[in-house]
Amino acid sequence: MNTGLTLAAEFETPSVEYRLLAPMLIVFGVAVAGVLLEAFMPRPFRHETQLGLAVAGLLAAFASVVMLAGDYSVAASGSVAVDGPALFLQGAILLMAIPGVLATAERKVDVGGVFAPAGSSTPGSPAERLLVAEKITQTEVFPLLMFAIGGMLLFPASNDLLTMFVALEVLSLPLYLLCGLARRRRLLSQEASLKYFLLGAYSSAFFLYGVALLYGYAGTVRLSGIAEAVSSEAGNETLLLTGTALLTVGLLFKVGAAPFHSWTPDVYQGAPTPITGFMAACTKVAAFGALLRVLYVGVGGLAWEWEPVIWGIAILTMGVGSVLALTQTDIKRMLAYSSIAHAGFILTGLVGTDAVGADGELLGVSSVLFYLVTYGFSTIGAFAVVTLVRDAAGEATHLSQWAGLARRSPVIAVVFTFFLAAFAGIPLTSGFTAKFAVFSAAWAGDARVLVIIGVIMSAVAAFFYFRVIVLMFFSAPAPDGPSVVVPSPLTTVAIAIGAAVTLLLGVFPTYVLELAGLASQFVR
Amino acid sequence: MNAVLLASPEVRGFGADPWWLVLGKAVVIFVFLVLMTLFTILAERRVVARMQHRIGPNRVGPFGLLQSLADGIKLALKEDIIPKAAHKAVFVLAPILSTAPAFMAFAVIPFGPEVSVFGERTHLQLTDLPVAVLYILAVASVGIYGIVLAGWSSGSTYPLLGSLRSTAQLISYEVAMGLSFVGVFLYAGSMSTSEIVAAQGDYWYAVLLFPSFAIYVISMVGETNRAPFDLAEAEGELVGGFHTEYSSLKFALFFLAEYVNMVTVSALATTLFLGGWRAPWPLSLWEGANQDWWPVLWFTAKVLLFLFVFIWLRGTLPRLRYDQFMKLGWKVLIPVAIGWLLMVATVRALNTEYDFDARQVLIYGGIAAAVLIGLTFVWDFVAARSRNAEPPEVTAEWDPMAGGHPVPPLPGQQRPQLTVAGTTAGSTTQTEDHP
Amino acid sequence: MSSTATVLAAATDTGTGEAVTFWVLGPLAVLAALGMLASKKAVHSALLLALTMLSLAVLYLAQDAPFLGVVQVVVYTGAVMMLFLFVLMLVGVDSADSLVETLRGQRVAAVLGAVGFGALLVFALGDAVVTNEGLDQANSEGNVEGLANLIFARYVFAFEVTSALLITAAIGAMVLAHRERHLPKITQRDLSVQRFRGGQYPAPLPSPGVYARHNAVDTPALLPDGTPADASVSRVLAARGDVRSIPEQASTTAIERAAPRREDDGS
Repeated sequence: MNTGLTLAAEFETPSVEYRLLAPMLIVFGVAVAGVLLEAFMPRPFRHETQLGLAVAGLLAAFASVVMLAGDYSVAASGSVAVDGPALFLQGAILLMAIPGVLATAERKVDVGGVFAPAGSSTPGSPAERLLVAEKITQTEVFPLLMFAIGGMLLFPASNDLLTMFVALEVLSLPLYLLCGLARRRRLLSQEASLKYFLLGAYSSAFFLYGVALLYGYAGTVRLSGIAEAVSSEAGNETLLLTGTALLTVGLLFKVGAAPFHSWTPDVYQGAPTPITGFMAACTKVAAFGALLRVLYVGVGGLAWEWEPVIWGIAILTMGVGSVLALTQTDIKRMLAYSSIAHAGFILTGLVGTDAVGADGELLGVSSVLFYLVTYGFSTIGAFAVVTLVRDAAGEATHLSQWAGLARRSPVIAVVFTFFLAAFAGIPLTSGFTAKFAVFSAAWAGDARVLVIIGVIMSAVAAFFYFRVIVLMFFSAPAPDGPSVVVPSPLTTVAIAIGAAVTLLLGVFPTYVLELAGLASQFVR
Repeated sequence: MNAVLLASPEVRGFGADPWWLVLGKAVVIFVFLVLMTLFTILAERRVVARMQHRIGPNRVGPFGLLQSLADGIKLALKEDIIPKAAHKAVFVLAPILSTAPAFMAFAVIPFGPEVSVFGERTHLQLTDLPVAVLYILAVASVGIYGIVLAGWSSGSTYPLLGSLRSTAQLISYEVAMGLSFVGVFLYAGSMSTSEIVAAQGDYWYAVLLFPSFAIYVISMVGETNRAPFDLAEAEGELVGGFHTEYSSLKFALFFLAEYVNMVTVSALATTLFLGGWRAPWPLSLWEGANQDWWPVLWFTAKVLLFLFVFIWLRGTLPRLRYDQFMKLGWKVLIPVAIGWLLMVATVRALNTEYDFDARQVLIYGGIAAAVLIGLTFVWDFVAARSRNAEPPEVTAEWDPMAGGHPVPPLPGQQRPQLTVAGTTAGSTTQTEDHP
Repeated sequence: MSSTATVLAAATDTGTGEAVTFWVLGPLAVLAALGMLASKKAVHSALLLALTMLSLAVLYLAQDAPFLGVVQVVVYTGAVMMLFLFVLMLVGVDSADSLVETLRGQRVAAVLGAVGFGALLVFALGDAVVTNEGLDQANSEGNVEGLANLIFARYVFAFEVTSALLITAAIGAMVLAHRERHLPKITQRDLSVQRFRGGQYPAPLPSPGVYARHNAVDTPALLPDGTPADASVSRVLAARGDVRSIPEQASTTAIERAAPRREDDGS
């Protein structure tokens, strides 16, 4: 009895700054509320309620991010950094998640939605046919999405490696699940889920090993503590280098950079298409945010050591993504390789560590932040368009089926062309501004060779984007080709948001660029 | 193992014994457990016989006291069979894996306070750890491997099914068991067995944390695979369960493990909830009761009390159905344990943070619990009413020879009025269900 | 291997008991880990992995981390590995992994990669001197209390966020494995009603024949009139043509004894 009392007296109650953590707490709260809704709400009302709750939660979380702007500090006993990059990326993730969730909730294009009626039913079994006939959908996907978003919010904001690892798992686990729940081509989807899970677990092991070694080096998992140890050159150099390498491998896997990209095409192809779009945009944002924080805050003093490595990986990633995309015949796989190539372009911006802008902003950070926003919105839009081109078997993803699409549906063809132009980096789209930003940051950071290679690779990438455009506009449509389905307002809004942001950031990028510049300073 | 355990951070007063004392304690524990096993087997047979109005074994030795020994010798001399389909290495390993942990768990059980042995002051306990109770859980979970591997390596269906059953059972009940410990940890402020006993100076946790105690006692019966939870060896369904293919000494080892486990969980119950070696109330008024070697007596008596309950249960209760048993574990014990734990934690927090009077808390908590329990009864009653209110399905005419086979009437069907010559049927044929 | 270096460094300034423990359990853990990779049967792999985990747990205990050591056994060896075994055992005793390579040269590449990575770690970290400073400080209030202070104060946010992970895991298990009931449940009573409604023979089928020389499921029983009862033999056996005709001798004697009247009927 007495021992218990004395222990309680010794325990120092931790400080939890609820205001600073509000974005994450709101999203996690909505996720938990969604789980409860699943348990207690009658099935017919679940879908609408869940959707409304999710969107409301995302908007509320975004509002709280906006309210925190400019108020930078460290929260939750130093576990969470609330600073420029963290808030910028959190805001970006929340805004991108809204079209992502809307596209996911689409139920008109494929009757019953994009998800299997029950994950447990055997593909093609009578039980499944019964569920399809009764138009039953799985609404558990909404809480799962919210948990993933919560993890994504925490990932770029985590200020120690332990929290970062937990965030990594929180964002990954729901995605593994969501990948395996596609309504059409279930076996492909399940295979994608399994591959993603196994390789994800494998990369987590690398991450964890790196964390352990860095702990061995610095005696702490706090990024600031590691930075201190690096600057004072205390401890064992080998542990530091090996640890940093392994940690970076874990993060580069999530980013989808070569040579850790092999999961990307399979998973992007197998997952339900709106989930692919969501994953491609938001996961990339979160993972790059974490990578930025580790490299700039944690081992920033070691930039001389890691810059050449990132150099090499950037070149390899751009090369693998652009060249292999040329050989793809499936539109989702092609977009997957395109996302790998874009990871390479973003990595170029990362190299410009010592590039400082006119107002003292870190160009390396701000250009990456900007690129992530532009790429994310375009990707969500592009994948949402892919869901609309369908034949009897579901989505028509083979490139030959897209021939002459412009004659069937000029609007969709034009919108898709616009997204592809953004990916290719054509002026007046956001892709151009973004590429310009990262390349100029790298140029200012004296990585000129890298910039030249990047420009060449952009040209190669432009080739396969234009191949699709040519196919859509100048080929004769196949006689039994797919039709373009008119979606419900949900997908329409998602595509519209994607297209609008792509256009706006192409024409008037200044505001967001300035915002990214303002947000480029880390809290240490 | 001992060297390792002693090397880890010590609980106050442990880890300073000379080597011969450690060895002596280990041997004494081993002998104690083996003797307890022999005694329990005999006691079980005699007590159950008594309950069934039989005599039981009374031929070998005075009062049949040597019966277990004779049985043991017979068992050892039997032919040792290893089935052809068995996986030999694992088949031999399994009984060892089952028995060794059963003995190991006893290392942290306190038999008594500090005493003097040949001039050395020492605790009557082999060793203690800051996480002693968790250590017992850990060792118990290694013991499960013995059962699983026995079933798998036998290369036969019934053992496999039996072992799967028992594993599922042990893992499920381990959860409830672990949860029932937490209340004790919260009150004792420690996970070391000697400190838990020390913290029970004023009142036993069986009184203070009665729900925890009840949950532990139920799950301890489940943990040891004993009746009414002996589904792993349900003869009617699975022949002998996981040890169907075992004979001779290997079987004896399983037998030994089962009884040693019974003693271990009883000793743990004694330690955590019944004040360990402390003398029970009227005796505790005598000051010497908790000193020197007397406590060993109280401890053994309490353990024997639990062992008697084990035997009593076996003599009284029929075996549960498997699904009912799992339902009890997962849907009753675990939620109740969690709910109770929340209450305990709240009360503790109120006590430490706001200096609430324990009695006040107990009264309000008791009222709340009573209301909740009352509500569950009401709920049950209403649910039962609505179930019963369901009108019986009105079915077609009763065909007494449906398909050429005589059948009784279904519920709701009327037996037609039979007219037997000379009587009117009305007075005798009500709507009985049984012909 | 890196842990080897760490442990070694720690062992230099601790007692012989710990050194002995290490030299017994360290090689055991490594051998078991290698055996886990090499063994063809999944159950053996699982067992060897359990052995590795147990060895590690005891090493943790020896290194003044009793809580970690015990929890390692309770959680990993006791629960997680047990569930693994559960699944593996249901696959069957004799099943072994298919060793056909789907990608050619994959195994060689994997071995080379693993050896290279291992060598890198061994040579890079082998000479890394790690001192066990701070252990006494960390354990100053007791091992469990020290951990509690870290988990519930310094890393409380990470700890709380882990609950999101657990909820996700629970939902995931339900989504992937739970079949919700969309049709009303067929009760025992429904089945019983069905059985009698159908108008078929509602009682259990007769058991096969038991004779002095034949007592097997493929031998039909005899009806009171001496004819074989077809229903007493499994339909599967009948379809396969495996039904043993009642041996001539037996049948005739049986017929003579049981039903002499049958001959009259037959003629």
